[in-house]
Amino acid sequence: MTRAPMLGRFRYGYVAPAALLVAVLLYAPFVWTAYLSLTRYDGLAPPEWAGLANFAKLFDDPALLTSTRNTLLWVAGTMILPVGLGLLVAVLSYDLRGGAWYRVPFMLPYALSGAGLAMVWSPVLSHDGVANALLGVDTAFLQEAPANTLAMLLVWTWQQLGVNTLLFVVGLQSIPKEPIEAARLDGASGWRLFRHVIWPLMRPLTAVVVGLALVASLKTFDIVWVMTQGGPGRNSETLAVTMYKETFVASDYGYGSAVAVLLTVVTGLASYLYLRRQVR
Amino acid sequence: MIRSRMATFGVLALLLAACGGNGAATQQKKSELTLYNDKGAWTKFFDEMGALSKQRIGLGMKPTGYTDSAQYQAFIKASFRTNVKPDLFTWQTGGMLEEIVKQRQVAETTAVWQEAIKAGDLSQDLMPYYTIGGKQYCVPMNVAYWGMFYNKKIFDEHGLQPPATWDDLVKAAATLKKAGVTPFYHTSVLFSFVWFEQLMAGMDPDLYDRLSTGKAKYTDPGVVRVMEKWKELIDAGYFMNPGDKTDPGDVMKTGKAAMVSFGTWFNTSMTQRDLKAGTDYGFFVIPNVDPALPKTSVIFESGPLCSLTKAADPEAGTKYLKWWTTAEAQEKWATTRGDVSANPKVTIKDEALGQITKDAGGGKYRLVNRYFEATPPPILTAALDGFGKFVTEPGTYKEVLETIQKEADEYWSTHQ
Repeated sequence: MTRAPMLGRFRYGYVAPAALLVAVLLYAPFVWTAYLSLTRYDGLAPPEWAGLANFAKLFDDPALLTSTRNTLLWVAGTMILPVGLGLLVAVLSYDLRGGAWYRVPFMLPYALSGAGLAMVWSPVLSHDGVANALLGVDTAFLQEAPANTLAMLLVWTWQQLGVNTLLFVVGLQSIPKEPIEAARLDGASGWRLFRHVIWPLMRPLTAVVVGLALVASLKTFDIVWVMTQGGPGRNSETLAVTMYKETFVASDYGYGSAVAVLLTVVTGLASYLYLRRQVR
Repeated sequence: MIRSRMATFGVLALLLAACGGNGAATQQKKSELTLYNDKGAWTKFFDEMGALSKQRIGLGMKPTGYTDSAQYQAFIKASFRTNVKPDLFTWQTGGMLEEIVKQRQVAETTAVWQEAIKAGDLSQDLMPYYTIGGKQYCVPMNVAYWGMFYNKKIFDEHGLQPPATWDDLVKAAATLKKAGVTPFYHTSVLFSFVWFEQLMAGMDPDLYDRLSTGKAKYTDPGVVRVMEKWKELIDAGYFMNPGDKTDPGDVMKTGKAAMVSFGTWFNTSMTQRDLKAGTDYGFFVIPNVDPALPKTSVIFESGPLCSLTKAADPEAGTKYLKWWTTAEAQEKWATTRGDVSANPKVTIKDEALGQITKDAGGGKYRLVNRYFEATPPPILTAALDGFGKFVTEPGTYKEVLETIQKEADEYWSTHQ
């Protein structure tokens, strides 16, 4: 009884260190980036106020249109491939005897980092790579758009499939047995059972998996940077790559920050709209 | 209570002492310097230089090599605002050097240059690349002349000789192509500018110079002609696929392409692959496309080694740079890499490289600053992307030039 008021009196004290860390490491850089987006800044001389000039440039930059198109392609592709296939593998392997073992090969690539993954696949998909030799074709998978984005998306699927499968399996396991048995007794099976009973019961977990995949695909960077550096030209750039390139390669920190703000707004808005729909 | 307050004061005092320690460290004398560089593959050579400098001037050197130049540049720029400063670092001449000098970050080396020129360790010709506002900054870490490395065995097999004219070069390419050998290497990433600068320099070097100072446009007819010439060569099938990620050193070794155009530093890739100059490969100066030009244009680059004004021990940095220019240091630096040196006293054992160094020093060529250094960073970034697009879709050259010019217009509107 005496501990509760003590806890009450010092409750902000307990939270303060973590809140301070988050504020300093997460929100302060964000505020700084937002400020830089309103300046002309080359990373060396003091930033010069530029108002909304960088944002005006955003709408007049054909490269940004390509980045946005590619980013949307990444989002759509992620929903269909790693998420969709993850669900399929989970459902198909769930009832199998020793299903966990079938899922192991899908899980292993998740241990690799995005950059490591790209290092492995880059030579495979390059013009002189193994893919061409195995398929007996002469295609530069990483050169033409949107084929290069699709090729990288397949690599991304190879890595992400396992973790999505695992999450969906956890979702399947958390479904109470009774409604399924009742549905079976009523004669439901196969697709009908999945669509009308299993899928609605898995909705909370699906919301998490899709939400995570949505955010991850919107900020796609490492695979693209290592495999194509956004090229050739700028035809495989995503918004995150454009942000990096404008900031650190072209030393246009102001414009790069404007792209960062745009990316944050898009990611925040997409997450909000999606989660609001799920919570309803 | 008193005890806990004392403890608090104690901790604060220790923290203050630690902060003060940093301040004191700025005046400390160093016996080993850190050298940050964007040449990660050269760590072994830097280590050897560090061992030699320790022995000779009592100052060791420990290299930290980056392989991604964007990351490297971002780190160096960020380091200017922090206490984690490199003692020595590599950089680029041209606009990049000017940028950091303007911010008063780089230590002046005018005295080092004067002394080195007097001693014959540095050439007067190099000085303009290191001069900003009448003063010198940094010293040459390396110099390089660009030309064509060729697979000698393939040339011998097809009865080819290093070409003396542009027509000879195209004829050699046609012969190789007919025999099923890909004549030239090119790429869509980073070094996508190589053939642009080479053709510009061989067709209209004055226009090249005007372009790099914003006095000409990428959409000018002369530049368009260069792109058309480049496209002509691509359309003739003289280049390997730009999406091929084989290391250029291996391209040369395996004969995937018979010729690779790079700076003399590419020789290091050959020596690292146990290839022998004159037997396995050769090097020639690329002839001008326009035979009417008075001198053959040779692309030239020089990479600086710099120290900071606010480094922990600026004196040690200057001492090191001074030693770096000496014949003894340069002899070691050039021979371990199998490359040319900025010090005229150093003899180059490789016959072809020795010859180009001598000829260039003797004024035989028109030296043209490499595109990388000659072009301001924002235009360079747009151009590298543009040329990368062009080599994969040669039909887009006009669109590419317009895109680069758009960036150039924006840059020069505030930098003329």
